[in-house]
Amino acid sequence: MLTTIERIAFIVLALTSAGFAIHGIKTIVDSVRKGRSAPELKNIPASLIKAGIMVLFQQTIFKARKILSTIHLGLFFGLITYAFVNLVDILEGFIPGFDLVYGGKHLTFPFLPSGIINAFNLIADVMSGALLFSITVFLVRRFIVKDKRLTYRENVLLNPKVKAGGQNKDSLVVGVFVILHVAARLLGQAFRLTDGADPFMPIASFLNGIFGASQTGVHVAWWISLCWVLYILPYITRSKHTHFTVGPINLGLAKQNPRGQLDPAVPAGEKIDPGAKFIHDLSWKRVLDSYACVQCNRCQDVCPANFAEGASLSPSALEVNKRYLIKEATFGSHPERLLLPLTETVISPEAVWACTTCHACVSVCPVGNEPMADIIDIRRRMIVDGAELDSGVQNALQSLATNGNWMSKGKRLRGRWAKEMEIPVKNATEEPVENLWFVGDTASFDERVVPNTKMVARIFQQAGFDFGIMYQNESNAGNDVRRVGEEGLFEQLVEQNIAAMGKAQFKQIVTTDPHSFNTLKNEYPQFGGKFDVKHYTSVLVKLFEEGKLTVKNPLSGYKVTFHDPCYLGRYNGGFTAPRKLLELMGVEFNEMPRNCENSFCCGAGGGQIWMGKVAPGERPAENRIKEALTTFEKNPSDKKQLFIVTCPKDMIMYSDAVKTTGNEGKIEVRDLIQLIAEAVGLEAPIISLETEAVAS
Amino acid sequence: MNIVVAIKHIPSIADDLPVKGNNVDFDSVDFVLNEFDEQSIEQAVLVKEAVGGTVTVVGVDMIGELDAVLHLALAKGADKAVKITGDDPAADSHQQAKWLAEAIKGMSADIVFAGVQASNDLDGQIGPMIAAHLDMPYIGGVSSVEVAGDSAMVNKEFAGGVGAKYSVSLPMVVGVQAASKPPRYAPISKVRQVAQTATIEKIAPSGEAGAGLTFKKMAPPVVTGHAEMFTGSSKEVAAKIVELLKSKGLA
Repeated sequence: MLTTIERIAFIVLALTSAGFAIHGIKTIVDSVRKGRSAPELKNIPASLIKAGIMVLFQQTIFKARKILSTIHLGLFFGLITYAFVNLVDILEGFIPGFDLVYGGKHLTFPFLPSGIINAFNLIADVMSGALLFSITVFLVRRFIVKDKRLTYRENVLLNPKVKAGGQNKDSLVVGVFVILHVAARLLGQAFRLTDGADPFMPIASFLNGIFGASQTGVHVAWWISLCWVLYILPYITRSKHTHFTVGPINLGLAKQNPRGQLDPAVPAGEKIDPGAKFIHDLSWKRVLDSYACVQCNRCQDVCPANFAEGASLSPSALEVNKRYLIKEATFGSHPERLLLPLTETVISPEAVWACTTCHACVSVCPVGNEPMADIIDIRRRMIVDGAELDSGVQNALQSLATNGNWMSKGKRLRGRWAKEMEIPVKNATEEPVENLWFVGDTASFDERVVPNTKMVARIFQQAGFDFGIMYQNESNAGNDVRRVGEEGLFEQLVEQNIAAMGKAQFKQIVTTDPHSFNTLKNEYPQFGGKFDVKHYTSVLVKLFEEGKLTVKNPLSGYKVTFHDPCYLGRYNGGFTAPRKLLELMGVEFNEMPRNCENSFCCGAGGGQIWMGKVAPGERPAENRIKEALTTFEKNPSDKKQLFIVTCPKDMIMYSDAVKTTGNEGKIEVRDLIQLIAEAVGLEAPIISLETEAVAS
Repeated sequence: MNIVVAIKHIPSIADDLPVKGNNVDFDSVDFVLNEFDEQSIEQAVLVKEAVGGTVTVVGVDMIGELDAVLHLALAKGADKAVKITGDDPAADSHQQAKWLAEAIKGMSADIVFAGVQASNDLDGQIGPMIAAHLDMPYIGGVSSVEVAGDSAMVNKEFAGGVGAKYSVSLPMVVGVQAASKPPRYAPISKVRQVAQTATIEKIAPSGEAGAGLTFKKMAPPVVTGHAEMFTGSSKEVAAKIVELLKSKGLA
C-alpha cells in the first residue's frame, strides 16, 4: 500500500520513536535499580503469570468502584486489541496485497482463513467502539463532571507540576490520542470498503455509508493513526500511563510475605541507615510502585487519614510525587532534587504521622502498591535522625522503653486485674499452662477495658480452658511501636517478650488484642519467636463447638453490628470467627456496608492512639458510628442496638465516638465477650460504659 | 566549656510505693531517672550545642542499675558518664550531694546542672548543697540558660507565672525546672549502640555528709476525705455545684 518514500519515512519515524521510548524505559529501569534491595521474591515467573491472569480478568480493580471498573474494561481490552490492530495495520502498509476487509477477499499474501480474518475484523471494529465509548466517559468524568475523587485535598503536599495539573495534561494527551487514533483507524477501514458494507465491520461499514471509499483516505488515515502511536509510545514512558505496562508487572512483583509482616528497616545483610530519607532509600519495588500508579485514588477513598476535610495524607499523592520527583531528576534538569528529603518532596511530616497503618490503601490498590510501607520507612529514619516527635508519642515510647507499657504504669501493676479475680490466674512463667494469654497494655491497664479482661478470664475459667498470663514479665508486643517507626524499641520489646516466653511452658498463645496478635503471629518468628498464636474469638468458637461453652440465654433482644478490627480482619483474615460467635448468641445481626476486607479503621492504629494532637473535623470512629446507625435504620425495631468490637482500642475509640456524636442511648459499644458472658449465663454484672465512671 | 550534670536515680512512683520498716521497700520498687534530671540533661546538651564543650553526667549508683540511665544520657548527647558506686539505695540527698560534689571537684566544671527537685527531694536540696560544697553560686527554678563568655543569662521562674532574667557569672550550679526545649527522644537503636561501646567511669564514694535527716517513720497516707461525684443532667449538676458553693460561703 505504501509508496517507497512513505516506507522510508515511516521507518525513520518509527526508529526515532523507538529510540525515545527505549531511552524512557531505560531511565525508569535505572531509577528502579537504584532503590534498596527488597525482601527476596520467590518464583517470580509464576507470580508474574498469576498477576497476568488476574489482570486479564481485571480482578483487582473490581475491589472498588464497580461501574467505573466496568468502563475500564473497554479501555483495557480495547488497547490490548489495538496492539494487534496496529501490527496488522503496519503489515497492511508494508506488504502489497495484505488486505483484510471482506474476510480477506482481496488478500493475496499471506493466506489466512476467512473465519479468522472475520473474527479479527469484528473484534477490532467492536473494540474500537468500546475504546471510544470508555475514553469519552473517562474524559467527561475528569473534565466536565470533575469527579472530586480525582483531586487532592488542599493540605496534601503535591509536586508543583502535579498541582499545576500535570495529571490532567497526561489524561488529556492520552485521551485525545485514543480518540484520534481510533477514529482515524476506523475511518481508514471505512475508506477500504470499496464493495459496500462488510457485516463483520459494523462501525466501519456505517462510516463507509457516510464517507464512502477512498484510496487517498486510506493513506491519510493510516498515517494519522500510526503517527499518533509513534508519538504516544515515548510519551507514555514519561507520564502516569507507565501504568499500562508497569501496573501488571508491579502486581506480579508484589510483596509475598504476610501483610502483617513489615519489611526490615535495613535490608537483610546490609549495613546502612534504617528506613528512608531519600527516594532511593526506598526498596526498588517501592520505587517501581510510583510507575504502576495511575492516580485512580481508590487508596485515598478508603484512607481513614484522608477522610476529614483538612487531611494532609493521600497515599496516591505520595506515589505521584515520587514519580514526578524522579521524572524531574532524570528527564528534567533537576538531578539535585533526588537529594531532597522525602518529607519535603513527596509527603509532609504531618501526613507521615497521620497514617493509622490500617492497610486499606495497600489492600485496595489494583496494582500492588504499598504506600503505607513507604510511610513507615520514612518514620523509621525520622526517629533515628532525632526528628521532633509528637509529645504524646514521645511519652508513650519513653514509657515503653522503661516500663514495657505505654501508659506510664509500673510493671508490677500489669497483673493487678488478675490478682483481683476470685479464682486465681496462673502465672505462666512459674507453672506450665496449656494456653499463654498475652493480654496487652490496654486490656491490662485501662480502667474502661479491664472489666472485659476479667470477663474473658471468667469465661475461660468456666469453660475449663487452662491458661496463664506472664504478669510483670509481659511487655507490650510492639506492633504499634514498630509501625510508629521505632524499630530499635520494637526489637527490645520482642527480646524481652521472647525471653519471658522462654521461661514459660505453654502450647499456644491466645491474645485479646488484634495488634499483639498480628506481630506475635507474623513478626516474632523472624526474631526467633515461633509460636502458635490465636485470637480469642477463634478460641471461643472452638470452646462452643466442643460443648465447653453453651448458650443458655439467647440474645434475640439485641440488634448488633460488628466492626472488623484492621489487625484481625484485613491483616489476618479473621472475619468468620466473630460472626460465627454472634450467630451462636442468637442476636439479630446487621452487616455494615464497609465490612471484612473493606472495614473502616477506627483511627487508633499505627501509634495514633498516642498522639497528643488530633486532626480537626469528623473523626473516622465518629463516621463509623453513624454508618452503624444508618445500617440499623434500614431495619427498624425496638431492640437494643449494639456496636460490637473485639479489640481493646476499638472499645475506647468507639465509646468516645458514641459520646461525641451525641448518640448515647441509641447505640452502645460492647466487646463481644460481654455478649458471650450474658449468653452463657456468667454470673457477673454486665458492665455498661455509660454508667461506669471513667478513670483518667 | 565543662558542663556537668548531676543526676539522681530514684524509686519509681509509677507503682504503688511499698514501705518496709521506716523507709521505702527498695527491693520491690523500680528505680528511674528523676524527671527534672531529664530536663537538666537536655538543657546541658542544648548549652553544649550552642557554645561547644563537653557534657559529663554523674550520678550515684543506688542499686547497681545506673548504667542504663547513663547510656540514655550519652545517646542524648552527653560525652562522658561517671557513676559513683554508692550501692546504698537509702543514701539520702545530703549524702548524695556530698558524694556528687566530691566527684565534681576534680572536673573543673563551668556549669553544674541538677534537677530542681525530685519526687524524693521535693524541697529541692540537692542542687544548693552541691553548690555549697563546691563554693559556687546556685540558682534554681530555671527554665533556660544561655551562655556567653564567662557568664550566663538564666531565666528563673517564680510562683504566679512571674519570671526573671539573671546574669550569672560562671562557674555556677543551676537547678533546672524545665529545659528551654522539651527533652529530645533518644532512639533505642542508638541507646543500645551506646550501651555496647561506651565506657562508664566508676569512682568510689568519698566524704561523709554528717548531719542530715533521719527517718522516724514512713507510712502510706491515711485517707481523710473523698471526692463526691455529682450525677444527673447538666442542669441538675450545675444546681448542685451552685448549692455547694453557697454552703461554703463562696457564692
